[in-house]
Amino acid sequence: MEPLLEVKNLMTHFFTEAGVVEALDGIDLTVYPKESVGIVGESGCGKTQTAYSILRILAQNGQIMDGEILYKGQDLVTLPEAEMRNIRGKEIAMIFQDPMTSLNPVIRIADQMIEVIALHRDVSALEARELAIDALTAVGISEADKRIDEYPHKFSGGMRQRILIARAIALQPSLLIADEPTTALDVTIQAQVLEIFKDMREKFDLAMMLITHNLGVVAELTERVHIFYGGRVAEVGTTFDIFTKPMHPYTIALLESIPSLDVDKGRLATIPGSVPQLINPPKGCRFHPRCRYAKEICSIDRPPMEEKVPGRFVACHFWEEVEISDLAEQVLGHKKKDIKKPK
Amino acid sequence: MTAESPEAKILLELRDVRKWFPVKEQGFVGSRQVANIKAVDGVNLEIYKGETLGLVGESGCGKTTTGKVIVKLEVPTTGQILYNGQDIYAFHTKEDEMYFRRNVQMIFQDPYSSLNPRMLVMDIIGEGLDIHEPKMSKRKRDEVVYDLLDRVGLETYHAMRYPHEFSGGQRQRIGIARSLSVNPELVVADEPVSALDVSVQAQILNLMQDLQKQFNLTYIFVAHDLSVIKHVSDRVAVMYLGTIVEYGSNNQVFTSTGHPYTVSLMSAIPRPDPRRKMKRIVLPGEPPSPINVPSGCRFHPRCYKSDGEKCIIEDPPMIELEPGHSVKCHYPEL
Repeated sequence: MEPLLEVKNLMTHFFTEAGVVEALDGIDLTVYPKESVGIVGESGCGKTQTAYSILRILAQNGQIMDGEILYKGQDLVTLPEAEMRNIRGKEIAMIFQDPMTSLNPVIRIADQMIEVIALHRDVSALEARELAIDALTAVGISEADKRIDEYPHKFSGGMRQRILIARAIALQPSLLIADEPTTALDVTIQAQVLEIFKDMREKFDLAMMLITHNLGVVAELTERVHIFYGGRVAEVGTTFDIFTKPMHPYTIALLESIPSLDVDKGRLATIPGSVPQLINPPKGCRFHPRCRYAKEICSIDRPPMEEKVPGRFVACHFWEEVEISDLAEQVLGHKKKDIKKPK
Repeated sequence: MTAESPEAKILLELRDVRKWFPVKEQGFVGSRQVANIKAVDGVNLEIYKGETLGLVGESGCGKTTTGKVIVKLEVPTTGQILYNGQDIYAFHTKEDEMYFRRNVQMIFQDPYSSLNPRMLVMDIIGEGLDIHEPKMSKRKRDEVVYDLLDRVGLETYHAMRYPHEFSGGQRQRIGIARSLSVNPELVVADEPVSALDVSVQAQILNLMQDLQKQFNLTYIFVAHDLSVIKHVSDRVAVMYLGTIVEYGSNNQVFTSTGHPYTVSLMSAIPRPDPRRKMKRIVLPGEPPSPINVPSGCRFHPRCYKSDGEKCIIEDPPMIELEPGHSVKCHYPEL
């Protein structure tokens, strides 16, 4: 199947007073039609900037230095700005992290939604309003025909997130990028919003790119996962494989370090140090200063991103030596030996 | 460590504590009070020496206000808080007050706004000593600060730096060192890891557990993350809309869960395991406003067990399901 979105060797740099920030350093990423892909990583790993690069909405000091972003075969990096406007919202919609600041507080919900719909779809204002009401109803806002005329402050965080989902869906995009869509919400509200995402995907055949640091949300909503670290991709695989047979030392460490509701972990495993600064990133593999398997080569050569097992891409020199600790075994319920390696 | 041992001593006790914030309306002349935000509305709690009590709930449930009332950052509207049997709002002498202030410390949620950006780390950590040990020599004070830096995993040279030079995790370490400088008995930690990255969160949780042993600390750990609470707590109190709805040992609350709210909270958390196919209880609606608290059981409008009669009319009492495990519900699970 042809990928819907294919990002190849994307490099995005930011020029700051302190120096050049190599925020994205050769990102490869694919999303197939109707597929839900998770982008997982800690703060500063480049997950949000990848989304901003795709939509070309980088901050003024940011620039795509190299790479291709193929959307339905068209390279978005070189696309003229005027044509890019037809992609944003209509083809690729995005939901931003903070539902409290993503809506203009002094404009009614109706106007904020109708504006976007009328801009991208060939409909009258009245039809656009009907479409907006339908979309709001679809995300579970009751009496949408009345509530659409209210201002954002009348809605809670969970409700605003629903409105943002509705606004994105109303244009019937092919790809929805959701940046930490549930991070600002309470768990019971998060559960509601997760159900809506599942619902929407079924109804509209949406492809989704879900950006999050929450491994639970990823496990539940996605089919494939890209693990990001320090502006690069560490590992790619199906969600099932990533969670049951992680191969990159960072993925394993990440899974070990989160407290669990189901397993008593005793003392948590930790990753020493903190996430790297990308102004002066570590040479070689960017994870090597924190990696327990690191050898000399790790600080010199960047490990290539290779398909080690069909469907599994890992960027690590010593992926074959990586062992899953007893702890991770407990959490994952299996042993590393189960993983078949190609000979 | 655990509260079950018979010799366990009650360090702190909350008796029917309420904290209502008045809502004022600006009138033609002056303002008048029109309602109350019932942030904390009748909380009873006991904290045993040496244990970690986890206080968990969603935003707006009153868990932070409860923490603040305990360290005297907020004055409760009614109710009593006893520390070693003494009412903390009725100390007779200045010495008693100072003793309390010294022994009860707090770690704050946001490591970025809780450290004064214009103070050196040395002075941030040493400020408590200036107040409680005014006669301490400069050299001794330096020694204490260096020792604390070492214990929280920072270096001696960090003392002469400003907060902006540190990462979030390091700042939280500074905040922890500050709270320990005066050798407290009880530390109220308000969401100490929620602002941190997952890989750093584990470091801070381990550090807090190590320090608890080294300093014989009692923790009140306030958090919204159930998995973190389960990991750190000996006993757990679940809050909803200003009241405690379930209370018991870690094991009791998490394995023989009694309150429908706790049950749904646990089922709402997405697990990092794609094999796990679970039936999720999705609670309808949102937590009501603490200005207009629902009649009867506060949880009834969202509860899957509400009978539509008794639950709407009668506020359920706290009933003991098993020794040490109480639930505020007419129809508890089990």
